[in-house]
Amino acid sequence: MHFHIAVAVIIWAALFVESRKIRGISISYKRFYKERKSFLCIDGSKLIPFEQVNDDYCDCADGSDEPGTAACPSGRFYCTNLGFRPHYIQSSRVNDGICDCCDGSDEYSSPALCQKTCRNLGQQERAELEERMRMLSEGLLMKRQLVEEGADVWREKQAELTDLQKVAEDLQVRLEYLRRRKSDAGAQKEKALTAAQHPTGQEGLRSQIRAELPLDDHGQSLQDTDRLGDKDEGVEPRTDSAAPREESPNEAEVRGGDPSEDDPDVKAAVEAAESAVSDLNKAEEAHQRLQMEIRELEERLAIDYGPEREFLFLLGRCFQITAYEYSYTLCPFNQVTQKSQMGTEVLLGKWDAWDGPPEDLYGVMKYDRGEPCWQGPTRSTHVQLVCGTDSTLRWVKEPSKCHYAMELQTPAACQPQQPSRRGVHNEL
Amino acid sequence: MAAPTDRMGLLLVALLPVLFSIADAVDRSNFKTCDQSAFCKRQRDVKPGQSPYRALLETMELSEARLTLQLINDNNKVRLLLELYRLQGNMTRVRINELKPLRPRYEVPDVLIQEPPTESLLLLERDEHGMVLSLGVDDQRLIINARPFRLDIMDGPKVLLSLNSRGLLVFEHLRLRKDTISHKISSTVGSMWDKIKSVFSSKTEADAEGVENDVEQNEAEKVEEVEEVTEEEEQPGMWEETFKSHSDAKPSGPSSISLDFSFPGVDHVYGIPEHADSLKLRTTDGGEPYRLYNLDVFQYELYNPMALYGAVPVLLSHTAERTMGLFWLNAAETWVDISSSRAVQGGGDAPQTDVRWISESGIIDVFIMLGPRPTDVISQYASLTGTQSFPPLSALAYHQCRWNYNDQEDVQAVDNGFDEYDIPYDFIWLDIEHTDGKRYFTWDPNKFSQPREMLQNLKDKKRKMVTIVDPHIKVDSSYKIHKEIRSKDFYIKNKDGGDYEGWCWPGNAGYPDFTNPEMRAWWATMFAYDQYEGTMDNLYTWNDMNEPSVFNGPEVTMHKDALHGGWEHRDVHNLYGFYVQMATAQGLIQRSGGVERPFVLTRAFFAGSQRYGAVWTGDNAAEWGHLKMSIPMCLSLGLVGISFCGADVGGFFKTPSPELLVRWYQAGAYQPFFRAHAHLDTPRREPWLFGPENTALIREAVRQRYTLLPYWYQLFYNAHRTGQPVMRPLWLEYPGDPATFAIEDEFLLGKDLLVHPVTDEGSHGVTAFLPGEGEVWYDVHTYKKHQGNLNLYIPVTMNSIPVFQRGGSIITRKERVRRSSSCMEDDPYTLYVAVNAQGTAEGELYIDDGHTFNYEKQNQFIHRRLTFTEGSLSSSNLSPDSQFSTASWVEKVIFIGVPKPSAATLRTADGAESPLEFEFDPASELLALRKPGVNAGADWTIHLR
Repeated sequence: MHFHIAVAVIIWAALFVESRKIRGISISYKRFYKERKSFLCIDGSKLIPFEQVNDDYCDCADGSDEPGTAACPSGRFYCTNLGFRPHYIQSSRVNDGICDCCDGSDEYSSPALCQKTCRNLGQQERAELEERMRMLSEGLLMKRQLVEEGADVWREKQAELTDLQKVAEDLQVRLEYLRRRKSDAGAQKEKALTAAQHPTGQEGLRSQIRAELPLDDHGQSLQDTDRLGDKDEGVEPRTDSAAPREESPNEAEVRGGDPSEDDPDVKAAVEAAESAVSDLNKAEEAHQRLQMEIRELEERLAIDYGPEREFLFLLGRCFQITAYEYSYTLCPFNQVTQKSQMGTEVLLGKWDAWDGPPEDLYGVMKYDRGEPCWQGPTRSTHVQLVCGTDSTLRWVKEPSKCHYAMELQTPAACQPQQPSRRGVHNEL
Repeated sequence: MAAPTDRMGLLLVALLPVLFSIADAVDRSNFKTCDQSAFCKRQRDVKPGQSPYRALLETMELSEARLTLQLINDNNKVRLLLELYRLQGNMTRVRINELKPLRPRYEVPDVLIQEPPTESLLLLERDEHGMVLSLGVDDQRLIINARPFRLDIMDGPKVLLSLNSRGLLVFEHLRLRKDTISHKISSTVGSMWDKIKSVFSSKTEADAEGVENDVEQNEAEKVEEVEEVTEEEEQPGMWEETFKSHSDAKPSGPSSISLDFSFPGVDHVYGIPEHADSLKLRTTDGGEPYRLYNLDVFQYELYNPMALYGAVPVLLSHTAERTMGLFWLNAAETWVDISSSRAVQGGGDAPQTDVRWISESGIIDVFIMLGPRPTDVISQYASLTGTQSFPPLSALAYHQCRWNYNDQEDVQAVDNGFDEYDIPYDFIWLDIEHTDGKRYFTWDPNKFSQPREMLQNLKDKKRKMVTIVDPHIKVDSSYKIHKEIRSKDFYIKNKDGGDYEGWCWPGNAGYPDFTNPEMRAWWATMFAYDQYEGTMDNLYTWNDMNEPSVFNGPEVTMHKDALHGGWEHRDVHNLYGFYVQMATAQGLIQRSGGVERPFVLTRAFFAGSQRYGAVWTGDNAAEWGHLKMSIPMCLSLGLVGISFCGADVGGFFKTPSPELLVRWYQAGAYQPFFRAHAHLDTPRREPWLFGPENTALIREAVRQRYTLLPYWYQLFYNAHRTGQPVMRPLWLEYPGDPATFAIEDEFLLGKDLLVHPVTDEGSHGVTAFLPGEGEVWYDVHTYKKHQGNLNLYIPVTMNSIPVFQRGGSIITRKERVRRSSSCMEDDPYTLYVAVNAQGTAEGELYIDDGHTFNYEKQNQFIHRRLTFTEGSLSSSNLSPDSQFSTASWVEKVIFIGVPKPSAATLRTADGAESPLEFEFDPASELLALRKPGVNAGADWTIHLR
């Protein structure tokens, strides 16, 4: 690519020698400046004698008569920059004593002693470009891998979600069963108590109660919730009955002040009812936890991890960087924190959304709702993503108080066909 | 920057008790009302009536230029000495002191540029009732009335001004405290505290406390005793005073002074800044007096007579016929009451304004400036306290500031941003965070580890930097500045003789005694390149917090019983900031071997501060009201000599809407000191952060400033030479037109540009008053012509900055706006010749190197008069003795309001004539001459035929 430019520049330079030099124009503009008696402003607004081109007085509203001087407010000067990239500068930078073109052509009449730096810059830029290209191709390879990994992780997570949803369904069934059992056991208890208080002729009722006690039921039903059992011992069918339970005062009164409490049937019925309540409570807790876990997973899966889920691999990872007296931790899609040397940690933001401009949405991550500042807003952080061959934080700043900015380099941010800046012409 | 708000995590912990009281500072309760200031209350309780003072005519002594006379207070028989001087330039000086004070009373030094030259006083008449003296000019006479004492200054039969006509002269004489201990240890002259202090030097602190306890006990005992002796005089707060938790020991007792002045026929008075209030002073009847006491006021309120950061005790009175001024030379806490009345005089309804000055200590020393024109009063005042320092040209350009640019990288990024968005700027500023732990004269070793490299990068772009250097010095035995000040014993002392310490940004801090000339000389040496490490010649200085601000002090400032050598802080308070800036400016001059002009910005100021640099209106807020207020605040300062004034563009506290920010840039571009600044807690607001449209609007406003820099520079040269303000209220140029007297939403720059910034949200138009019967004004953007003496409605868009050029003026511009003003040094000029009804115009052009004293020391400058009359525009030399060569030339001449000529010819000094091409637009009567090409320093004439 740059080879073509170099050739073009050489050809252009060769042509140039043959005609009077019009300072500050590019080859594509040369046609407007053919030496004739008069010059027509490029916008067609005015015809002036050709001597007034580059005579350090602005005649054309579009600045076209003074491409090589600072006379026109809206003018621009073309730096040829042989060996580097040609480019335009504002005409206000011509002869202002500051070298802007690497060939020094903008300071042709000023005390500034400009070093000709184009060759070096060109080499430097080529080296940088090559490095960038190398990094880009390497980065893109890595990105492919990350995309694949991401796809695996995504599938895993999906499967996990499916599993959880299945467990939830089963647990739902069990919950219904337990609710039923609780109400039955409650009813049995009432019956037993009634029978005990009216002892005559109630044997039939008693045996009926005994028959209905669902004593041996638990183990089997709970198998379905084994997975939950890992986390929650409380789902075990019979925990120590000394475990604190809520008792309605009514219940206590009944038990405490009633002579029937020694009655084995009553006792069994009461215990059965208590165990039914306890089992239901535990199962409900487990269900809630499960729902929360599902919600969390769903939320994570709802996050936009990029068009190819190339950023998914960042989930669950954290990156650190130290700046002056603070160390900063970015856990992508989760949060950003700051830790002082004294060890106090402050939340700089929770994951909000992608926040890049429309053409590069995935270029910036936004974290907000961090810890509030004293008399100020809540802290927030914008993370810019740039292409690199590894994933690491490059810098962190606090441009305004409590507004942080970081840059994360990662292969996932590499984009194929990054527009090359080389040879860009800002011409009509 | 503010009184403490929130930031400083560490300090926060240390300062919690302080901060709680500071957080209250948002409301007024942290600052005294007159009632809470014992002397003000005592004085204000004295109502107008028969004065107890009588002039003892037989004691009159008259030498060539000085008249002295004793006054006696018939109530207590204390005698005062009145001195009267007639000063050159139509001024009268009146001094009143005790005839035999118990010990000397403070007389303000260093503010007057010289002992004012006098002229002879002539006694015209004398009898047992009084005497009449001639004041030389016309029919001006001074009448002394003996009983009661009263002075009248007359012009023919007309009373211009009366002193003590309401009998409010009160001079609290120094006295001995009527308690046993003071009798024992201070039997002659001197305060008991001075004695106690000497006791301290040889005793332990425990002993010292013992003495204090004794004193307190005795105070309790004394009360009855005192009441017997001088029952009438003892009032609360005379010998000690407490405000909030702060007590003022007042070892010298009551010492306040007061005097009233009456201005018959006067309805408009101005001046006595600094207040966030209207240009025309309001009556204080039934409210608080205007207060002059330099204070760091957190989030100040608008339209309020509360004291702010600076104090200039100068008041101007104005009528269509005559302008006068009063300069009350006193640096202590001062209150000014203004009341107006209407009296039926000779059948007409005549207004009168009465002004009463009250100060806590010192003497009465008042300069009466008799005008008669407003410009005369300003010249008279300038002859006393000097003129505006002539700033480097770049200081008149745009300044980019923020609390804080975080590190060198940040500075570089902002610098690059200005280039990227093609917005010029000259100075980038660093607030307190750039230092190593708020130790001024140092750099944060991490964030600003290579200051020279940073400064060189700026210099490579012909740009400059300002760092902040505040006068509170961190008490830290490893800090060079502190160590030296302590070893040289330069700190202000507390009442007990130890170094005074207070809380400020660095935590515990000492305050160097800037009233001490040796201290100032030492301070100046600290700006040398080898002392202030990492600095270069493109680094300048900002003095903030120099009221001084003391976070845990009474009213966020220093205890009045702190000691500056033999004087109490009470005597010198309002001078502190003045001296800080003086010493700093001296430092910048010295570091260049006396070659370079300094640039120093200060927040606190006093009369005479104009000689040392620029001031700004302190910690304003991003509110439309504050934008509006920037105009009267800077106009008031300009009237009392301080031309180099600006407000924080965008507002310091809070966050401006993009619209407010743009409007503020547009207004600020036409105010003398043009700096954007923002509080640490606010989001970034560099000009390009609000979308391309707003960026373009801000760019255009800043560019307008840069094109006008030649005019600004010439105005500042004029201010430096004559003291005439750069930014002027309309009445200054149109003193006979009462319609101009209260205008404060527009102003003049010099006399030729009228600016009416848009200061309302969502504005679709403004109504500007274009002054002057027979004047014409041209819109500088459209060249549309408007007649003077009318209200003009101007529809506005977000683009609009209504500015008008006066017909009859010639304004020079440089239209090639570049990255910074230095880049434009050799650029050519465009002359804007706006003709008046007579078809004439005139203007000036001033050129020098832009930054050294060579204009003054070696006469190296160009000063041209530009005149257009009878179809000929010529440039002539206003200063034949000076020499300077410039590369700048005349690029274009634009005539506004002329008929089309048939030809235009340039005639140069060598007699050569050449035709000039031109273009003419008949619709706007605009004639543009193409490229005269003559050097800006040469003689030439252009003929239109």
